[in-house]
Amino acid sequence: MATSDETDERVGETYRRRARMRVRRTTRQIRRAARPAWDRVRFARQDLTAAVPTLPRVAYLFIAPFFVLFGLFLAFPVAYTLYLSFFEYQGVGEGSLFWIDLGPVYIEIPQIAQLSFVGAGNYLRLLGNDLFWQSMFNTSYILAIQVPLMIGLALALALALNASFMRFKGVFRTAIALPVSANLVAYSTVFLLLFNEQLGFLNYVLSGVGLGPVPWLTSEFWARNTIIAAVTWRWTGYNMIILLAGLQTIPQQLYEAAEIDGANRWEKFRYVTLPQLKPVLLFVVVLSTIGTFKLFAEPYVITGGGPTNATITIVQYIYRQAFVNFNLGYASALTVVFVAVVSVFSILQIKLGGED
Amino acid sequence: MSGINITELDKVYDSGTENVVAVEGLSVDIDHGEFLVLVGPSGCGKSTTLRCLAGLEDVTDGSIRFGDEEVTDRRASERDVAMVFQNYALYPHMTVRGNIGFGLKLSTKLSGDEIERKVESVAEMLGISELLDEKPKALSGGQQQRVALGRAIVREPSVFLMDEPLSNLDAKLRSEMRTELQELQTDLDVTTVYVTHDQTEAMAMGDRIAVMNGGVLQQVGSPEEVYRSPVNRFVADFIGSPSINLLTADVEGDTLSGPGKFAYELDDSDPVAGHDRVSVGVRPEDIKVVESGRNAADVTVVEPMGNENFLYMEIDGHELTARVDPTVRPAEGSRVAFDFDETALYLFDVETGDALKTKTDSVDSAVVGATEN
Amino acid sequence: MREQQRKDAVWRFLTYAFVITMVVVMMVPLYWMLVAATLPQEQFLQFPPRLIPGTAFLDNFAALQERLDFLRTIRNSVLIAVVYTLLSLVLCSMAGFAFAKYEFKYKEPIFYAILATLVLPIQLLVIPLFLLMAQLEWTNTFRAIILPWAANPIGIFLMRQNMKSIPDALLESARMDGATEFQIFYRIALPTMRSSLAALAIILFLFQWDLFLYPLVILESADMYTIPIGLAQLTGFQRIYYDQIMVAATLAIVPMVVLFLVLQKQFVSGILAGSLKE
Repeated sequence: MATSDETDERVGETYRRRARMRVRRTTRQIRRAARPAWDRVRFARQDLTAAVPTLPRVAYLFIAPFFVLFGLFLAFPVAYTLYLSFFEYQGVGEGSLFWIDLGPVYIEIPQIAQLSFVGAGNYLRLLGNDLFWQSMFNTSYILAIQVPLMIGLALALALALNASFMRFKGVFRTAIALPVSANLVAYSTVFLLLFNEQLGFLNYVLSGVGLGPVPWLTSEFWARNTIIAAVTWRWTGYNMIILLAGLQTIPQQLYEAAEIDGANRWEKFRYVTLPQLKPVLLFVVVLSTIGTFKLFAEPYVITGGGPTNATITIVQYIYRQAFVNFNLGYASALTVVFVAVVSVFSILQIKLGGED
Repeated sequence: MSGINITELDKVYDSGTENVVAVEGLSVDIDHGEFLVLVGPSGCGKSTTLRCLAGLEDVTDGSIRFGDEEVTDRRASERDVAMVFQNYALYPHMTVRGNIGFGLKLSTKLSGDEIERKVESVAEMLGISELLDEKPKALSGGQQQRVALGRAIVREPSVFLMDEPLSNLDAKLRSEMRTELQELQTDLDVTTVYVTHDQTEAMAMGDRIAVMNGGVLQQVGSPEEVYRSPVNRFVADFIGSPSINLLTADVEGDTLSGPGKFAYELDDSDPVAGHDRVSVGVRPEDIKVVESGRNAADVTVVEPMGNENFLYMEIDGHELTARVDPTVRPAEGSRVAFDFDETALYLFDVETGDALKTKTDSVDSAVVGATEN
Repeated sequence: MREQQRKDAVWRFLTYAFVITMVVVMMVPLYWMLVAATLPQEQFLQFPPRLIPGTAFLDNFAALQERLDFLRTIRNSVLIAVVYTLLSLVLCSMAGFAFAKYEFKYKEPIFYAILATLVLPIQLLVIPLFLLMAQLEWTNTFRAIILPWAANPIGIFLMRQNMKSIPDALLESARMDGATEFQIFYRIALPTMRSSLAALAIILFLFQWDLFLYPLVILESADMYTIPIGLAQLTGFQRIYYDQIMVAATLAIVPMVVLFLVLQKQFVSGILAGSLKE
């Protein structure tokens, strides 16, 4: 029986192969018919290529377009933020910063903004600002709960999906990773409704099991947790994918060796999985920390920073200062501090995590 | 008609902080239709030389001529050369057809139909017509090799350049392709420069062999010439497998005396005149195990190869290899006497390595084993 | 032995229970969104809420469209994201090719300078870019949204890493076949990079698709809004029409979910490629 199956398969393969060949032959014939025209295009292109002299510095040609945009929209703004943080913004620039008059060529670099120098004034101001500290506290609070929770879940899911007995791995993985494709603002609006105190699905379920409605958005405590829940929903699958890929690189022999040494499930996790996964885990932690630090869309949409500024994040505070109050200098100083804090945090994590 | 003239070729890599000389003062003339093999240990400059010929590297100094044309400063695509790379370098996203036709498409004014015809006839010649619509990934190593050859042949170049094209094939396929390549080259009558680090391959394939070391050309000659009459110790040592046995010996009149009471009396002492010490070389196949003799060595390992035996011996810590008749099979650990003819003896200057004397025996009795492995 | 088997069975059961619970948790918000989008507002406001989708999607959509031209918003988002992705792919692959395959002065320092900007959060750039765009009189334009991150450091980094794996012999072979440097790039290097390009395209597309703070600052008029801005505007009105918002959210999320399902392999490799930047 097995041989007849095999024969069938071979016949099928031959058939498919022939069909493929036929398709190719037809496309070739079509192409052949169109050939003279193509040839002319080809020759024209060859002539053009021959006419253009070879440039000795072809590499610069390849990087130039990238660099123009990079310099103008990335390198320059980074430097300008630092510069701006020592000034107070007065209004849009009108005069020119400097100009070069070379007879026929006149280059004028316009002044970007009207500024007045305040030295470290912006930095002193933020240190004494309650809302700044409030936003720092909120961000740290969310961070301290959300990152461990999310990575714990992601790791547990990755381990479960990596287990040898698990069936339908692909389906589960897809379902759990699905939120990765959800637009940030769009999913935030969904959570806004999900956690709605009168209409929300969540309170409906809770009241169904006899737990009273929870003030998800109007209590300081619950509002923060709502944000945490939303972010965790959106990013757990993302982290799970990375961790799962990390788990799959751990050689199976290590587990077999551990098993022979008499390790139980927990010991295998503790002495094989965890050390092997450590670099990936560390990466995921750093990435998530930075991500949560940058939180903006979720509090902006779901809580608006409220109630009573209980969920206002640093980036949201910067946004308000910059684009609601137009304190652009002060907001720049906030940005610099924010970047510094994020960097220090990341470096600290890498240092601590990478120690042994 | 296109031979190749290379005159005083220098190639220096400027790595910013230091200059690395890859090829130095290389001159060689290659006849039209000749199959020249560049051989040497890795880093000897053979690949660099080939890449200079191809136009993939700028030449620091010297000139390269194909036939009557000076091509030193020409771009690769304007030299009328084709190259076969070590890993075949087949374009992975193109079919075999696309791969073979790519060069014609880019740099000739042939019409699409003509290109198609040429591709198909080359494919037929190489026996890969069936594979024309496959992608390289679907092919075996040998088939990929043929496609790479096809890509070179289809352009009808005046020069073929091949950079270790067979090194990725398994042993059996390699020797098959060796023969096939040679036949192909003879049929097409195209001047070919072939780079390899494998001296066996060099001996088997080359009309002439150019041995390089440290960026300097050591010797150019027919396989027999470089085997029998190496210009120096390096060439003698590099060519031949197993390698030549080398000992350093003191010269006392007609007598050479070396380690472990090794002694050999010369009938003709002219070559060593004026030398206190010389390098003595004997090919493994020239060492004869004898009943009794002046020299003796301890057998460490015997490798029976079927048609012959390899004896690995030691003489005062120096290794000595002999290829002997399969009937000669001394016990490991035993001491055997050995001898060799003076006509089979090589002598080299100890300091410079220059040859003082090479084989003088008649040709038909020697050379035999050199092309086997 | 039997004891061990029993324990294993319990363990398996718990593992499945956990995974399935998580799947349900992940699905509930999306399902809820679909239900809300397809029910008329009155039915939706009933208590207890209905859990079965209705048929009012098109009515809700029409109502939404009356308040904010959401189709235009989608068109804007798609247009921006597609143009951005294509432009960035071209720039990043060209520059990445040069960094991987050519030698030039200050190559390493330049590359590491680009790499250093990877760690900077994009929020850092919003203020100066806002001022710059105001100065260029580019506020409320798409080019102000598209251009700044077209020179994407992640993109150049990924392209360089992947292009390095192209064997030099392949490029030399093309050079001998008579290809110009630019032909080598687009006829040899790019086609062999197909899967990396797909992964990068997804990274870039999602980056632009999710961009919120920056367009919020730059785009002023309703006809220029992208999906996130449009949605945020809807939640900011005096009276919140949940049915309409959910229609908008559905229109924003469902196509991407479908895309995710179809191109899952590329999504995953995109996520992993982006995560290998250490």
